[in-house]
Amino acid sequence: MMMAHNVNNINTMAQQQMNDNRVRVSVRGWQKGTVQDLLNFVSKNTRISIQDANVEGPLLIGYVNTRDDANRLLKWNGARFAGSSLKFEILDQGGSTSNTVVFLRSCLFKRYDAQNKMLNLSALHSDPELVSKGLFSSLSTQSKLFAAMLKLASKEPQLIVESVNLSDNQFKDVTAVTTLAQTFPKLKNLCLANNQISKFRSLEIWKNKFRELRELLMTNNPIVNENLYRTEMIRLFPKLVILDNVVVRDTAKLDSIYNLPVKIQQFFFESNDLGPSSTDFVTNFLNVWDGDRSQLLGLYTPQSQFSISVDSTIPPTTVRDADTAPSFGHYLSQSRNICKLSSDKSIKQRLAMGPEAINELFKTIPKTKHHLQDRAHDYSMEALAFPALNGFVITLHGFFEETGKPESDKKGNQTNSKHRRYNHGHSAPSSFKLGTKSFDRTWIIIPMNNTVIVASDMLTIRAYSCGAWIPDEQITPPVNSNVGQTPPPVNNGQPPVISSVNATPLGVHHMPQQPQQPIQLAPTLQLPPDVQMNMNNIQLELLNKLHLETKLNAEYTYMLAEQSGWNYENAVKSFQSSVNNIPREAFVPF
Amino acid sequence: MNSNSNNNSQYHLIDIFVKKVLAHLDEQDPNKLMNFLQLFQSSKNMPPSPTVSKVVYNSMPFADPSIFLTMWSQQVVQTQHIISALDFHVIPTGASNTIICNVNCKVRFDESGRDKMGQDSVIPMGPSGAKRMNNNRPLWGSYFGVSLQLCLDDRIFRNDINGVITSLNYKIVYKPEDSLIKIN
Repeated sequence: MMMAHNVNNINTMAQQQMNDNRVRVSVRGWQKGTVQDLLNFVSKNTRISIQDANVEGPLLIGYVNTRDDANRLLKWNGARFAGSSLKFEILDQGGSTSNTVVFLRSCLFKRYDAQNKMLNLSALHSDPELVSKGLFSSLSTQSKLFAAMLKLASKEPQLIVESVNLSDNQFKDVTAVTTLAQTFPKLKNLCLANNQISKFRSLEIWKNKFRELRELLMTNNPIVNENLYRTEMIRLFPKLVILDNVVVRDTAKLDSIYNLPVKIQQFFFESNDLGPSSTDFVTNFLNVWDGDRSQLLGLYTPQSQFSISVDSTIPPTTVRDADTAPSFGHYLSQSRNICKLSSDKSIKQRLAMGPEAINELFKTIPKTKHHLQDRAHDYSMEALAFPALNGFVITLHGFFEETGKPESDKKGNQTNSKHRRYNHGHSAPSSFKLGTKSFDRTWIIIPMNNTVIVASDMLTIRAYSCGAWIPDEQITPPVNSNVGQTPPPVNNGQPPVISSVNATPLGVHHMPQQPQQPIQLAPTLQLPPDVQMNMNNIQLELLNKLHLETKLNAEYTYMLAEQSGWNYENAVKSFQSSVNNIPREAFVPF
Repeated sequence: MNSNSNNNSQYHLIDIFVKKVLAHLDEQDPNKLMNFLQLFQSSKNMPPSPTVSKVVYNSMPFADPSIFLTMWSQQVVQTQHIISALDFHVIPTGASNTIICNVNCKVRFDESGRDKMGQDSVIPMGPSGAKRMNNNRPLWGSYFGVSLQLCLDDRIFRNDINGVITSLNYKIVYKPEDSLIKIN
């Protein structure tokens, strides 16, 4: 963890990692041009660069960055260069253990069909290459071989596998491939045909594992003759639709049972103008909140109310990035969680009314940093009109980092003496540790003379977890906060003023830009490689976002983006205005 | 009657009311839908109603609470909600007061593959194969996290719960990866 402080180390490691992944390739039949001409030709046409090139006899030998690049290069065999045709080859490196790994890896890639997202591991025992390497000398090596190949597969993010073929492997049970469930938990199709599996018990190990498995092929296994075969397979795989080429579940019914009828969205604004104004409000409010909270007090009237409540529920460990050991020490003494309080007196005391009391309560909770601008995906918001007061109810869900201890304790004690006061054995100092928290905050605001009044402000603090509204392809790792050790300096600059015109709104208009990272496109957005290669990350990200928003297929998404001058907002507008005229085939079948 | 003072029975009434709302959501019997609808202002249960309650579920608005409740009872499997945090403010809004409740709870779904009516998606095989196990016990999955905001009319302090919910905003805030239920 400490290594992260040294940027040079990371670069060195990244370099090392890159070198480790490099693949040695050779080119034949290039002699009618110069080496430089050849390299230019290759890079221009294939968009792959061959590095550290050397001439060895009739061959030009060099390196490409990934196995993928190398495989793509092979497809250019026969390309005409300076009057003769080129021949590309992948050269395996020397070394003993790593040699086996390199060899298995190349077997794995040979058996992977990217077009169909299928990994074909059928009949490994009769694979001439594997046999010649002596990898089938005994049953235990066979077992190890599958385990090794699956392990290698799990380390290759570019292997997107929806189907696995394990037919003709002489399996008596699935022991050799149990780890398939860890390697590909979202597998959709599995073929185990032509094996000797005979007992249900051997498959029991996969119960509750392949939760997305749609099709299973087990023909030519003794097990299919068992009376309870169909019932058992249906029980083991809850989303199984096709068993041995026979439909066993009604897809429409299955989908309606396991999919909520409403897909979760990041935002809801009751009217169009409510979007920009409420995003402006929360952005500005939280900027000031993170800087100097006392500057917010002008928004609260003597009738305004503020309270905090702690939801100490620990999210299940299967929630992404869930903090399963959260510390709420700084909040508990102020928490107005009515479910947990038995004394009416504290319920009354913990409601702050009027700027003075609110300010006191503000000071009792840790200093914070919200990330509305740089991590807009992690926030979700709803804004509704509140006609009774001509105002709005705005609810924001998201996370913040705790960057410093509270300014003061509610009871006027020193932060240190507080430990003693509440330390009854269970409330160790670790419960005052600073970290990252998730929150839900609801404001009732009333616009007034170019500014707003906060009539009500309720804040729930809970353990950090990844937001449910974030689609898988947009998930970024959580902020690594070691704030306890090194609190970053609190922003002393002039905090922005509420309702300032030049505030940056978050969310809908905000395009997160991470040019350093390769863009992960949605699996349903299938751009032709030559189109994709000619686009920059910002364009790709825009396409991806547009695709997710409109559900248009790659061709139409591209057309829409191009016609709108690569402007997301314009594209969405023009999509919305013409959605009824777009042909059905323009949409991907989701 | 002074509904503006924070007295003991107020906390109690709010607590009971919110738990009642969650219990309605967990109701398995679609015939009891009207009991829940009664808490909302809906064109269905108050025909000449000037306003209908706002319902927003996972950022999707519903034109009428009855549409949401019908969808909930027919297209969502059985649920189990457990309240984990509750706070509320009484906002003076003229003639009557508005209560805003900020609720956090966790919810789990019946993952047995059956809907609220006990029907599953398995295609019956042969005339005798249609027989199914009569065990309709739910198989609860892992918990999801929920943030819920309720705006209520302060008539609930006077034991009147007809149409007291003026808005309900329900949002799932975290999801377990091992659930069979897909929300996006």
